[in-house]
Formats: sequence, C-alpha cells, structure tokens
Amino acid sequence: MTPTIVTERLTKRYGETTALDTLDLEIEQGEVFGYLGPNGAGKSTTLALLLGLIRPTSGQARIFGLDVWRDAPAVHRRVGYVPSEANLWPSLTGAEALRFLGRVHGSVDGAYRDELVDRFELVPDKKIRAYSHGNRQKVLLIAAFASRADLLLLDEPTSGLDPLMERVFQACIREARDRGQTVLLSSHILSEVDAVCDRVAMLRGGRIIETGRLDVLRGLAALHVRAQLDSSPPDLSGLPGVTNVVVAGRAVECDVAGSVQPLLRALTEAGVVHLTTREPSLEEIFLSHYGGSGG
Amino acid sequence: MSTADAVAPTGRGGAGVAVARRAFGQVGRGAGAWALVFGATAAASALTYVTSFPTLASRHALAVTTGSASGLGVLLGPVAAVDTVGGYTVYKGFVFLTTIGAVWAILASTRLLRGEEDAGRWQLVLAGDTRPARATAATLAGLGAAVGLLFCGTTAIMLLVGHSPDVGFGVGATVLYGLSITIAPLVFAGVGAVTSQLGRTRRLATGLGLAFFGVAFVIRMIADSGAHTQWLLWLTPFGWTELVRPFTSNDPWPLLPAGLGTLVLCVAAAALASRRDAGGGVLASRDVSALRPFGLRSPLGLAARLELPLLGAWCGGAALAAFALGIVAKVTTAGTAPGSLGDTLENFGVTGSFADQYLGVAFLLVATLVALLPAGQIGAAFEEETSGRLVHVLARPARRGRLLGGRLLLGGAGVVAAGLVAGPAAWLGARSQGVDLDLGTMVAAGLNVVPTALVALGTGAVALSVAPRAAVKAVYGLVIGSLLVDLLSSMVSSLSWLGHLSLFHYLALAPAQDPEVRTVVTTVAVAGALCALATVLAGRRDVQSK
Repeated sequence: MTPTIVTERLTKRYGETTALDTLDLEIEQGEVFGYLGPNGAGKSTTLALLLGLIRPTSGQARIFGLDVWRDAPAVHRRVGYVPSEANLWPSLTGAEALRFLGRVHGSVDGAYRDELVDRFELVPDKKIRAYSHGNRQKVLLIAAFASRADLLLLDEPTSGLDPLMERVFQACIREARDRGQTVLLSSHILSEVDAVCDRVAMLRGGRIIETGRLDVLRGLAALHVRAQLDSSPPDLSGLPGVTNVVVAGRAVECDVAGSVQPLLRALTEAGVVHLTTREPSLEEIFLSHYGGSGG
Repeated sequence: MSTADAVAPTGRGGAGVAVARRAFGQVGRGAGAWALVFGATAAASALTYVTSFPTLASRHALAVTTGSASGLGVLLGPVAAVDTVGGYTVYKGFVFLTTIGAVWAILASTRLLRGEEDAGRWQLVLAGDTRPARATAATLAGLGAAVGLLFCGTTAIMLLVGHSPDVGFGVGATVLYGLSITIAPLVFAGVGAVTSQLGRTRRLATGLGLAFFGVAFVIRMIADSGAHTQWLLWLTPFGWTELVRPFTSNDPWPLLPAGLGTLVLCVAAAALASRRDAGGGVLASRDVSALRPFGLRSPLGLAARLELPLLGAWCGGAALAAFALGIVAKVTTAGTAPGSLGDTLENFGVTGSFADQYLGVAFLLVATLVALLPAGQIGAAFEEETSGRLVHVLARPARRGRLLGGRLLLGGAGVVAAGLVAGPAAWLGARSQGVDLDLGTMVAAGLNVVPTALVALGTGAVALSVAPRAAVKAVYGLVIGSLLVDLLSSMVSSLSWLGHLSLFHYLALAPAQDPEVRTVVTTVAVAGALCALATVLAGRRDVQSK
C-alpha cells in the first residue's frame, strides 16, 4: 500500500537559515503520527511544505501519491488542516465561519459537525471576535474533523483547550483513526501524543533525530532503576550504560540503557532488599533528547 | 551587543515616554508626508492665484463671481476675501485640508488606541508599569507630537512661499494659518480617542468618529448657508478653522474653543479608559448574531461581504469629490474667468468651453481618487495573507491565482462603480449652479478614469505576487507620482517630456478631450495583462506571515 505521506530529502532554507534539513518521512494510512520538537525545530515549516503553502528549497513531498506543490488543490480535497494560530474573520459568527470553511472545502458531514459543536460545547452564534483563543481553535477543529478528510494535519491544535475539551479532542482523534483516517499531530503536549499516537518523530534544528513506535522508543531509552540494599551501595559509575547514579544511605537510583545484566550482578552482590524499575515517560525521552539544548 | 544589552530598556522617562514614542513612531511618518501635501497644496493655491489672477480687475471679477454663487460657501467654506491672495488660499484649501486632516486624525487615533487593543498589544502595554488612563494619555501625547509635526511642516512651507513679494504673507498670519489648519486634526484626534473607548472594535470606533465628522461638517454647511446661521460656526471644529480667517481678519480667539475642546476630549478618553475593561467598550455591542448566508459560498463572496462597506465609501467619496468639482464649474463659465486661467488650463492641452476645459483638468483629481481605490483592495489582500486567515482557504481546494483573480475582479468592479457615479455626480453639481452640461458626456468622463485605475490595480497585483510587502506602496507611488509628474510636465514647458512617464498621460481629459478608442483599449489591455500576470505569479511564491 502507498504511504499517505512521503517526503524525500525535503529541505527548506531561508537565506542562511535552514528551517528543515533533508527530511525523510513515511506515514502510513490510518496511522496517528506524533510530530515533536522544541520551538523553531521545523514542525510548522514541515506542515506548510506538506500543504504547498511554501516551496521546498530541495527534495520533494507527496501525499496520496500526488506532488504537494503541483497538485495542491487535489491534495487539499482530502486534507483537513488546523494551524497553530487560530486567526479567523472577527466579524463572522462561529456558525458562519464553519459554513464558509465547509463550503470552500467542499465536503462536510453536517450531522457530525452538529454533533461536534455539541461535544466541544461551542456557542455557534457568537462572533469570532468574542471567542477566546480556545474557542477559535474549536471552530477550526470542528471544521477539520467534520470534513471527514482522509488526512488530518494538525499543528499544535489544542494549546488553548481546557482538560475536558482535550479529552474530547483525543476521543475525536481515536474515532478518526478507527475510520481509517491518517493524522499527523504536531504537538507540545506530550501526554496527548502519548495517549493517541502510534508512532512519533522527534525533530531538532530542522532534522529528525528519532523516529519510531512509542513502545520501541521506550525500550531504547534508559530504564530507571531504584534499589534498597542491605549494605553500602557499590560504585556503579563504571558499569556500561549506567548514568545518573544517586546514592542515599543504602538506597541507590540510576538510569540504565542497553543490557541490565552488569547492573543486576553488581546490585545482587551487595544484597538486594527491594528493587523497582520504571520505563521512561515520553516526557523523559523528550527531555533526554532536548534537555539543556534548547533545540 | 550582548543579548542583555539588546533587550535592556533604553532612554529615560519610564513607560509613559516609551508608549508616547511608539505612538509617534507609528504615525509620525504619515504626519510628515501630510505636512508636505498640506504645505504644497496651500502654496500651489497661492502661487496659481498670483499667476492666474495677476490684476486687481481679474481678482475683483473672481470675487464678484464667487460671491454671487450662494452654494459655494455652503460646500466649500469661507468665500470671503477671494480678491486677496490669502483669502483665496484659505478658501481654495479649506474643504480639502480640513477633511483630510480630520479623517487622518480619526484613523490615526483609532489605530493607535483601539487598533492596538484589537490586536492584543494594548493589553501587553497595560501589563507593564502603567495604567489605562496614563497609557491613553501617553499615546495621545505621541499623536499630539505628530499633529505638531503636521503644523510645523505646513507652516514652514507657507513661510517659504509667503516670503515672495507677489504672495506677501506675514509671519504672524502664516503661523495663524498653520494653526487654523491644525485645528481639525487636533480636535478629531480627540474625537477618535473618545470613540476608541466607546466602540469595542476599531471598525466601530472609526465609524463613530466619521459619523461625528459628518455631523460637524453638516453644521458648518448650515452655518455658511446664511447670515442668520453664522453663529453655528462656533459649534463645530470646521467653524473654528473658518472663523480664524488668517491673512484677512487674523482672529486667534477660535483657537481657544479648539484647544479647550481637544483637552476635554482627551481627558474624557483617559477617564473612560480607566473605567472600562481592557478589550471591552463603553457601548454594548452585539456579540451574538443569527447566521447570515451572504458571502459564505466562496472566497470571492466572503471578500465581497467584508469589503463592500469600504468600496461603498470609496464610491461615495468619488461621487462627493466630483459633485464638489461640478459646483465649482460655475466659477469657470465663459465670460467671468480671466484669460490667464484659460492659459493655465490650455497648458493641459484641453479645448472646448471653459466649463469643459475646467472639468477635464479637474477630473484628474477624480482619476487620482479612483486610481487609489486599488491600494485598499491590495492592502486587504495582503492583510488577509499575513494575518493567517488566507491559510484557512489555501489549505482547502482553492488555487492562489484564482483567489487573487477574485480579489482583482472585486477591485475592478469597485473602480468601475466609482467611475460610473463620478460623472453623474459632477453633472448634478454643475446643474445645481445652473451650468448646463450634457449628462451622457459626463457619464463618459466618469468612465474615462476607469482604465488608468485598472492599470494601478494590475500594478499593485503584480507587486503583491512578487514583492508583497511593497505592493500597497507601489500603488500609492504610481498614482501620486503620476499626478505630480503630470502637473509638473503641464505647468513647466521644459519638463513636458516627463509627461510620458505619468499614468495619466494616457488618460484623455474628458469632457474637454475625446477619449481615443485605441488608447482606451491599449490601457485596458495593459491592465488586463498585468492582472493576468499577477494571477500566474501568485502561486509561485511562499505564503507570507507576519
């Protein structure tokens, strides 16, 4: 089966600045793909390139097998998009904005749109200028979901939503996946990505530094180990893969990447009273890649 | 420079001075440009008068003509003493300068106060070391400095011209003239400040300000309609300007109500600012509305829905200008105008009756006004793009070239409508003064200004597709530059070769000249080619953001 999104060495430069550097990406149909990275990493640039809003400096991107620049209108017929900034026409009401966006897209599931208006608790006869940032985002989310588009490109779509609406959003994403829709979700909210995404890519300085299934990423990342011993802890700092060793009396904590055998052997020799291990959260994986670098 | 140095506050005076400086920075350049226009307009009136009416007899004849035209005073203000250079200069520029000054001040004031609040930047200012009343006062101080620049520039130019023995303006009278011209922008800056507190959107605040402008203008018209209503002049800022009567009576007392009125308005604005919520307005506005389907079927429909009020205002402005020019045609009817005025008109190559010659040249102003209409449409298209709203449309199945094409169609329709109303409006103005013109000829004269305006539209469109941030400036530059070049090349024979560079060189001065079919077709074809080129180029560049 042809992947929904394929990019090949996709690059965008603005003068001396490289916003996106040789991006190779494949996203399969029906997949919910998390796109992570600090500010300025190139996430919005990627989405603008995929929509044909900006032209790549080199490389190419295809959606549904079509060139995103040359065949933009044909691609857009099957795409729903929510940008990070929810600027809409202030003098229109929410209902008028939904009507207009639906007309321009050409495909709207009216019953689902009405259902979403209820679920997101949007007051549709209010003017956009009277909406909060979160409510303006709701208008765009409803328009995108109600289009029933084959591909949803969502650029930090929930930064203004409250936790209750965030749950509604996650439910909508799962429904979209169940219908076979593909979702590319650029987000800073790691718990959201953790909850709904099948795979993630991590971006830094315009380059992908990690891609994979979340469970695989967790497996590759360091395991957090905490042990209570019946004697003084041995020196663990020289063991392969062991980092962040913290000793408190007869308790010791550390992270271990790769094989845990050398660590377990050393701890067993010191007499283990109690041992717990924990897989890293997505946030810890994220911070291990970006911590202190700022992107 | 280190990052810390770069972000460290500079200058002294705290938040108030910073706010005032920023306000001046936003409108100071515009004020400087208008100072040049004001000074040049008034100076041109004075210099044209001394060359067109060189003798006492010709000046007396003009005074007799204008004095007997009762409608002129109502529409154009102080007709008194037009047999003097100063009196004529005041009379000639009165409506133009006070109107421009008032509208500029309302737009500047509502932009600095309500526009900043609409954009959310005002709230950032209020989060700093200031309060709403102080921030409003500081903003108004910055705007006041810009009005001060307008006064200084206008007065400086007039002092230079007044130095000429033929003109002979005294320094005191010239300063008083500068002050009288500054009354409208000063008072209406205060009006805009108050309406910015009343309305919760910039559009509403501007609309309220312009409504106040309309009422003040009508009161001045009623006041000038007869001797028994002259007292009404004391009730309107335009009346205060008129009552100063610089160069003739030189009465400074009307400056007192102007100053007091401005002070009261500014204090009221600051007081209202401290009594309302940030983002809100004193007047309740409807935030809830039933669905209106008009304009929601397509991007072109939405553009029409959003832009129709502005296009209507342009058409109204073009009609009003043409109406006023039609009224003045009375002055130029054969037998009353001096030969020197005829010589001046003939420099433009016009023929026919005096009224036709005059209207042919005067319609250059209408052509300028109509040709500036595309600047608003190009600016709206650019704003739509950089605000991020265009992306909602572009991310759906819509081609950028087609979207721009729709915008150009809308702008073109506006240009045609403005041209269509201008001719009959001029005819109506002339008829009201008993000047008999052919309606069909005037309709043709109005439509005659359309092709050059379409070229301005096409030029702006190409600029929008290639260098979007320069697009609006390109239209203004082309139109204003063309007008200046056209006037220069017509008035100064050694510069006649310059005329070919002007857009208006390719405009027949109807009704005094018959439009050439070939020129009209060529001009329209050039405009069409520019628009077509723009739609092709539109899809080739990156979408812009702020």
